[in-house]
Amino acid sequence: MVKNLDLAVIGSGAAGLAAAVAGATAGIKDVCIFEREAWLGGILPQCIHTGFGVQYFNENLTGPEYITRFTEEVHQLQIPYRLNTLVTHISPSKRITYVNSEEGVTHLQAKAIVLAMGCRERPRGAITIPGDRPAGILTAGTAQRLLDIDGYLPGRRIIILGSGDIGLIMARRFTMEGAIVQAVIEQLPYPGGLRRNIVQCLHDFNIPLLLNHTITAIHGLDRVEHIDIVQLDSQLNPIPNTQRTMACDTLVLSVGLIPENELSYDMQLQMSPSTRGPWINEQCETSKQGVYACGNVVHVNDLVDHVTQSGHIAGKVAAKYLHKETSPPLYHMQLIPNQNIRYLVPHRINYNTPFTLYLRVTHPLRQATITLGNQVIGYRQRVTPSELIPLSVDPTKIIKADSIVAAITGIPDLR
Amino acid sequence: MTVHEIPCILCPVSCQARVEKTAAGTILITNLECQRGEPYVRQELETPLRDVFTTISIIGADIPRLPVRTSQPVPKQEVMNCMRALAQLQVTAPVRIGTVIHQNLLDLVYLPFVSFF
Repeated sequence: MVKNLDLAVIGSGAAGLAAAVAGATAGIKDVCIFEREAWLGGILPQCIHTGFGVQYFNENLTGPEYITRFTEEVHQLQIPYRLNTLVTHISPSKRITYVNSEEGVTHLQAKAIVLAMGCRERPRGAITIPGDRPAGILTAGTAQRLLDIDGYLPGRRIIILGSGDIGLIMARRFTMEGAIVQAVIEQLPYPGGLRRNIVQCLHDFNIPLLLNHTITAIHGLDRVEHIDIVQLDSQLNPIPNTQRTMACDTLVLSVGLIPENELSYDMQLQMSPSTRGPWINEQCETSKQGVYACGNVVHVNDLVDHVTQSGHIAGKVAAKYLHKETSPPLYHMQLIPNQNIRYLVPHRINYNTPFTLYLRVTHPLRQATITLGNQVIGYRQRVTPSELIPLSVDPTKIIKADSIVAAITGIPDLR
Repeated sequence: MTVHEIPCILCPVSCQARVEKTAAGTILITNLECQRGEPYVRQELETPLRDVFTTISIIGADIPRLPVRTSQPVPKQEVMNCMRALAQLQVTAPVRIGTVIHQNLLDLVYLPFVSFF
């Protein structure tokens, strides 16, 4: 006999905890958060730097401080959770299979599910760098865990490939802990991370940022000894005679994050090719009734504040569904991005309540005007792919259609 | 008159502040989209401040490191001195979030250290 559960929240990071708290606050008692780690909080307990919560709390918090605000709420509201528990499968009929050392393999039938699994790092295999396979090659998040949870400095002379935020943050952390970061290498002509991280993590410590460069080979017998780098042209092709060798004992990869959606595929949710997560509407509803997705499992955010906001919506809407207060969709408007937009979220609009539209551009622009259908919804002096653009949208002002073009137009920014 | 740019890092908008020093010695800051930026840019020109955060050794906890931060930002040139002083500290579990681990590190009296987690 399979037990029932009203609301299952998969993952206890910023999105999952916000969803669980919102659901419980809205009166849902039969909740369970599933977390594969030994503690609640997702990735935040290892993000010991400040910069979290500036928008949501109007305070500058560390990752552990930020997430503690939510774990304390979970405890106050007595929301049940299972730690050290991996959800291995969810059927299209919302039957959850999970495993832990106390219960073994167990099944639960959920009425509503919030997907908040977050994302994972692209490893070396995803970018195929030729060369040897020695020790000393690791992803930035793994290095962060080793340093800030387990207390090991993973190298002394470090090169970082990729200028995403985690790579920049780790460049600073390594330097502060006494290692030498020789360079951060980025294939694109602009950095992947937020401006504040370029300033505070690289400029402050005089760490060189090599734009338009990549690694062509890794050398080392037991441990990384040196790498070959080369300069790239605007088409990302190597420029002849620019190859050089840099000595190092560690190579840290910060080459992107992928939403972790095995369970979404299991459930046969309809996926968006641009965000590589389930498509959602402005209420975090997926293609399946009673299933909601929020945070980095939908798309990779750059600020935790936005993740929390989407988790909050997902939890609130799931509670409405469980209370049978859901109203049917008013429209079916699919948002179509123009060529300057890499992706946008939500993917469609079904109701007439105001919401925040997030979009990411394909390349830097200045004097950028953003339109949705017939409406101008925003203007930005400068936009870059590293910074997600939040825009307030009032659907009642948009002329309704099955598909609506979201467009950003501006001048290419070669700063 | 000299002109240079300082990137404002207070929010993701990332304004590129224009700093002009006139012949008379007054400093003019322009090209910022909001009012919060100007005090930051002035601070960057005078004494840049940075948060310090690291982990210290903890005994008797499930994990061997305790994350700590300064309650206030410190002058940028003191960051590595703070790190060296913090490397000497060790505490015993349990430690509640917000506990002051060390008052006035480096005798910078305005710099109490607090922990969390």
